[in-house]
Amino acid sequence: MTSFASGVSPKSVAAAAFRLREFGVLAALAATVLLFAVHTTNFATVGNWQDIAADVAMVVVVAVGETMVILTRNIDLSVGSVVGLTGYLSSYTLVHNQGIPTGIIALLAMAIGLACGVANGILVVVGRVPAIIATLATLTIYRGVVFEVAGGSVINADELPGRFLNLGVQKPLGLPLLAWIAIGIALLGALILRWAPWGRDFYAIGSDPQAARLAGIPVGWRVMATFAISGALAGLGGFFFVARFAGIDVTAGQGFELTVITAVVIGGVNVFGGSGSILGATIGAILVSTINNGFTLLKISYFWLTLVEGVGIVAAVTMNALITRRLQVFQRRRRYVELLAARSHGAEE
Amino acid sequence: MARRTATRWEVLLVVLILVCGVWSWTLSPFFLQRANLLDLLTPYIFLGLLAFGLMFVLVIGEIDISGCSMMAASAAVFAWLVHGGTNVWLAAAAVLGVATLLGLVNGLLVGILNLPSLAVTLGTLATYRGLAYVILRGNVRTGFQPTFVQIGGGYISNELPISLLVFFGFAIGLGLLLQTTRFGRYLYTIGSNREAARYSGIAVTRMRVSVFVLSGLMAGFAAIIYLGFFDSVEADAASASELMAVITIVVLGGVSIFGGSGSVVGVLLSCVLVAEIRNGMQLASISSYVQDIVVGGLLITAIAVGNLTRAERTHALLQKTLGGFRKEVISAETHAQETHVPSRQ
Repeated sequence: MTSFASGVSPKSVAAAAFRLREFGVLAALAATVLLFAVHTTNFATVGNWQDIAADVAMVVVVAVGETMVILTRNIDLSVGSVVGLTGYLSSYTLVHNQGIPTGIIALLAMAIGLACGVANGILVVVGRVPAIIATLATLTIYRGVVFEVAGGSVINADELPGRFLNLGVQKPLGLPLLAWIAIGIALLGALILRWAPWGRDFYAIGSDPQAARLAGIPVGWRVMATFAISGALAGLGGFFFVARFAGIDVTAGQGFELTVITAVVIGGVNVFGGSGSILGATIGAILVSTINNGFTLLKISYFWLTLVEGVGIVAAVTMNALITRRLQVFQRRRRYVELLAARSHGAEE
Repeated sequence: MARRTATRWEVLLVVLILVCGVWSWTLSPFFLQRANLLDLLTPYIFLGLLAFGLMFVLVIGEIDISGCSMMAASAAVFAWLVHGGTNVWLAAAAVLGVATLLGLVNGLLVGILNLPSLAVTLGTLATYRGLAYVILRGNVRTGFQPTFVQIGGGYISNELPISLLVFFGFAIGLGLLLQTTRFGRYLYTIGSNREAARYSGIAVTRMRVSVFVLSGLMAGFAAIIYLGFFDSVEADAASASELMAVITIVVLGGVSIFGGSGSVVGVLLSCVLVAEIRNGMQLASISSYVQDIVVGGLLITAIAVGNLTRAERTHALLQKTLGGFRKEVISAETHAQETHVPSRQ
């Protein structure tokens, strides 16, 4: 019995898998940084790093919610459209009511995003529509709402109040304000996933939804919560978008869901749920944003980016599955050896 | 049981088509003219062909959301080749070849590496779209050879669209493939229970790879129809709203997203229905964005309603079984009491 206890626990296998994935992503990031630093003149400058940090901030904020959704073996494809919708509606409100405090605008964007997320959650939990199809439908629906409401009009920087525009350029302690907010959100998300009982439930649901249900976890409410969080954070992402680019049009955030999912999946979050971390997703976001930035500096056409993201998703999914399988085999072999040892030990006695 | 529900679903579709027809007729008396009715499906035939491809993938219990991207990528290859001076028919053959190859990549990733099809095709959705962007950049290519364009946009005696004949040809061919061949039967078997299918000796892996290849091939044919109908192509041809329309057609046609059921007739009918709804909304001059919202709502409703009726049926079946079980238990108890009582005396 004691020999079993000293064997490889599922926890340590998960930890090993995590380390392997983390290491892989970090190595890829280091290689990318080195490549760009050598091949471009202005990559390794403070200004450019600050630029990347602001890009990363937007991806990370949305990726925290997406990570939670994917952990429960679901997916949220609508985040790009939610970014566009909330960004447009909140800045439209600001343009027509210049006196509203910036914080209220951020809350408004998050509230609209929350409503979108709850709608996704209802479709998945109550309607039992598979998440990929439900959120593909709402991706088109939310985008349709933006088009219908905005009708092709654009919000420019000169329409927005100065204190709002200030938000995107402030750099306390050398890091953009948006990045500081994103760090706060990522920390909060990581704490919830690590310590909050309901956050731990996300992993349980993703590992085995049926078992989680039998163990008494309110699966429906938890899945609903992940979609609500993802929606609200995508709303904050929309606010970030307007703050960063000082304006917005109806196509804002188109394809952004792929960037976010690439970041999350490259960061080692298992697309089949149950494993992954905010830290990994954040490193993934840094990698994706760095590649994006480097491409711009190298004057590689923007058209290559979608291709790179797609290949990134496929490669990450493949690597993840292979690593998981290898570890499972390893674990099974260890158990078998220990079982044999325990038997022979028993026979000697 | 399953057959009866399937028939009922198709009857429902026919009723909806008729209702929608009456609605369109009230919007415009021209709707019922023969030329309009014949031309109703023409703009949606490439979606219908993509839907046929997706249907095979769904029946076997997988999903392929990269169809529209495969179509765009292969159409981009066509435009690139023709722009470079290649013969148009050679380029058309290349379209089919490229699309099949892209489908094969999906199939190998899913079948051989045993990765979840949802994640794989999400990745290739972006990859293939990226290919289209890299090949075409921001260019719009137009003005292809007139004879080639006839396939997707030509008419026989100025009335009957050639693409409609192509579409019905595929419907009949694929329907026969699904209903009468061993290949088709095996698809349903694997979709109902993959492990059982494997244990009964079906080459599951080969079948899983081949449905993705078929899906790719259908995307190639869809590209040829698309190129003919629009006589132009750009890299973001057939994006999210078209992908959603394809999934709507398949799901509304009664194909289960969990595998094991679906028919070509259902998909054909739902293709007509979706075309009719779009056409009606255009007659009512509703903006294309609202049209997308309506189609999205239709997709969600179709799945949710399907799920709810299925849940109800399962519930009824469970109650029936439980009721029978309860009766058995009660009769066994009374029997035990009956036998117990005399033994006491």
